[in-house]
Amino acid sequence: MSVTKVVEIPVTLEIPIGPQHPALHEPLMLKVYADGEEVVKVDINTGYNHRGIEKLCERNSFYRNIFICGRVCGICNTVHANCYVRAVEYLMDIDPPKRAKYLRVLAMELERIHSHLIINAIMAEILGFDTLFMYIMRDREKIMKAKEILTGNRVLADYMMIGGVRRDVNGVKKDRLLNIINTIEGDIKRYIKIFETDDTITKRLMGVGVIKPSQITKYGLLGPIARGSNIKIDVRMGDKYDAYGEIPFNVIIRKEMDSWARMMVRWEETLESVNMCRYVLEHLPSDGPAVPDERRLPRRFPAGESFARVEAPRGELTYYINSVGKQVPYRVKIRTPSFNNIINSGFSYIGYSIADVPVILTSYDPCIACMERAIVINVKRGTRKSVSLKQLAKGEV
Amino acid sequence: MPGPSLLKEVLQRFFSKPVTIQYPFESTDVEKDLRGKHYADLSKCIGCSLCAIECPADAIVMEKLQENKKPKQNPRGLYPVIDYGLCVFCYRCVTVCPVKAFITTDNYHLASPTKLNSRDITLKTLPEKKR
Amino acid sequence: MEVPEKIKFLSDLVKKVHSLKPNRIVLEIDKESIRKAFELLLENLGDTGFYLAVIVGTDHPDKNKISLDYYVITHPDKEVYVLRTWLPRDNPRIPSVVDILPAALSGECETYDLLGVVFEGNPHLKRGFFVSPDIYEKGVYPLRKDAKV
Repeated sequence: MSVTKVVEIPVTLEIPIGPQHPALHEPLMLKVYADGEEVVKVDINTGYNHRGIEKLCERNSFYRNIFICGRVCGICNTVHANCYVRAVEYLMDIDPPKRAKYLRVLAMELERIHSHLIINAIMAEILGFDTLFMYIMRDREKIMKAKEILTGNRVLADYMMIGGVRRDVNGVKKDRLLNIINTIEGDIKRYIKIFETDDTITKRLMGVGVIKPSQITKYGLLGPIARGSNIKIDVRMGDKYDAYGEIPFNVIIRKEMDSWARMMVRWEETLESVNMCRYVLEHLPSDGPAVPDERRLPRRFPAGESFARVEAPRGELTYYINSVGKQVPYRVKIRTPSFNNIINSGFSYIGYSIADVPVILTSYDPCIACMERAIVINVKRGTRKSVSLKQLAKGEV
Repeated sequence: MPGPSLLKEVLQRFFSKPVTIQYPFESTDVEKDLRGKHYADLSKCIGCSLCAIECPADAIVMEKLQENKKPKQNPRGLYPVIDYGLCVFCYRCVTVCPVKAFITTDNYHLASPTKLNSRDITLKTLPEKKR
Repeated sequence: MEVPEKIKFLSDLVKKVHSLKPNRIVLEIDKESIRKAFELLLENLGDTGFYLAVIVGTDHPDKNKISLDYYVITHPDKEVYVLRTWLPRDNPRIPSVVDILPAALSGECETYDLLGVVFEGNPHLKRGFFVSPDIYEKGVYPLRKDAKV
């Protein structure tokens, strides 16, 4: 059997719409070697220098780094800022009041809802189901409005500060947020029913990209990918940071191990997040000021090391901070979940057809602006043709 | 073929108004506390430069006022000028100012073909000096 | 400090135990014993008993060493353990664990490209993995403290 076609899929990212893949340009290339229709081998080439942010963090003060680290990812900026702020709080042994912790959970869960909505919309678009894509995006606008009411901005919510949050909620805002959350719950239940019964979706997603539980821990895959293969890892249950120890919620796991299970895990997590937001809004404690006075925060930080983890919508995000007692940190290390998920997952494409490759890649939830272009090289004739990933998914190659 | 529930909704929506807001002709309704265009109020500013030091994007530059225009509380005569092209609207300057000298608005219409900064609108807030 | 009960089988490889905020245990191990430590972990905790979360390398030019941390998180009870080694700064080489634990691939490639630590036995190491060509052609490792980028 000789290789007749080599499909190169360069995937590029652009700042600031680069979720979970930090900083500037990020070319990620999946070199897929295909024989006829079946994938035989996958090489993953990356060339991104997200470490521009790590070197940059060593030159700015701890407070400026809150805003810099919040701009690593556009879709999950709240969780990045939260992880950094908690790592600094562990260093200084500060415990924020309960009201601030509940508000932080509210902001992070709203972000989880909008991130899961957008990846499901993109999965529908890759399959060719454009109507569903448009409907999900229209309903996502309600969540963006909720984020605007809570934090002051639709996308980049600069909401976290050392010792609490930057804005508080009053009675009027609480009622508006509760209305939005009740409306979106009905929408999500409708979409879950479509994903379970619709033929377009079930035939393309079921049985595609199966990963066994022992492969998940050996290859270090995280987040909804692990939960879709029956491994129960969730940092919210494990570390119980912020207010997650007091808010009741379930960790969703599925046994089917394929792409459909991964998307269903995300939908059911969205429903759990809606319940969590409602619980937070109804049970907000008032034990202390949620907003610290930023003019009185300390300027010098003690020496030491700390390690904080957070459950981003895509998996487990970790920050490691090493400080030697000055105004700037000595080392900041950021490990985003897509780093592990995308680079270590080259083994899972083998044996499926070319049209399944975009489906599997989307079910891992990579960055969005990166699903752009694929180059098809016909080795015999030596010609190169540029096709978009959507055409590849529809089988037009 | 979409499932029965989606087909009904598609037919209903076919005859109603699209949800797109035609931006330049209609404007989106935003919250009153949206983080929009902000500028310094020189009747309160004391020229301490904390906003310029704390800005994560280095978008604030301190400029000198003319000698005869310095207000009483600003002996050094420095005032902040924000470059809206570099600003990320994190509002760190607003929250860290010791005398709360920033005026905030919800104006987000900041796209322009030339560079925008806050010099003119800030200078208009200078208190009138009686001679 | 004592080696915790769950990983008592690693005690003869461990030289020092201390803690990292908030309540994570750090075990210092020699660089030749890292591979043996991972083999023992796989034997005693099983395939689904733990996963490798991060590999962090830090440059300490004042001590003339590079510290390398492997963060291991155990599965049902979510404890975080850190295995720390020290490598000499002028020749940082360490045996790779990528054949027994493929999750180390991304961390090792990144640490090689940015700090210059060579993982012997890893066939996928190459410069240009993350760093752009105009920097690696000069032979510069960007995360070292004396690198000017």
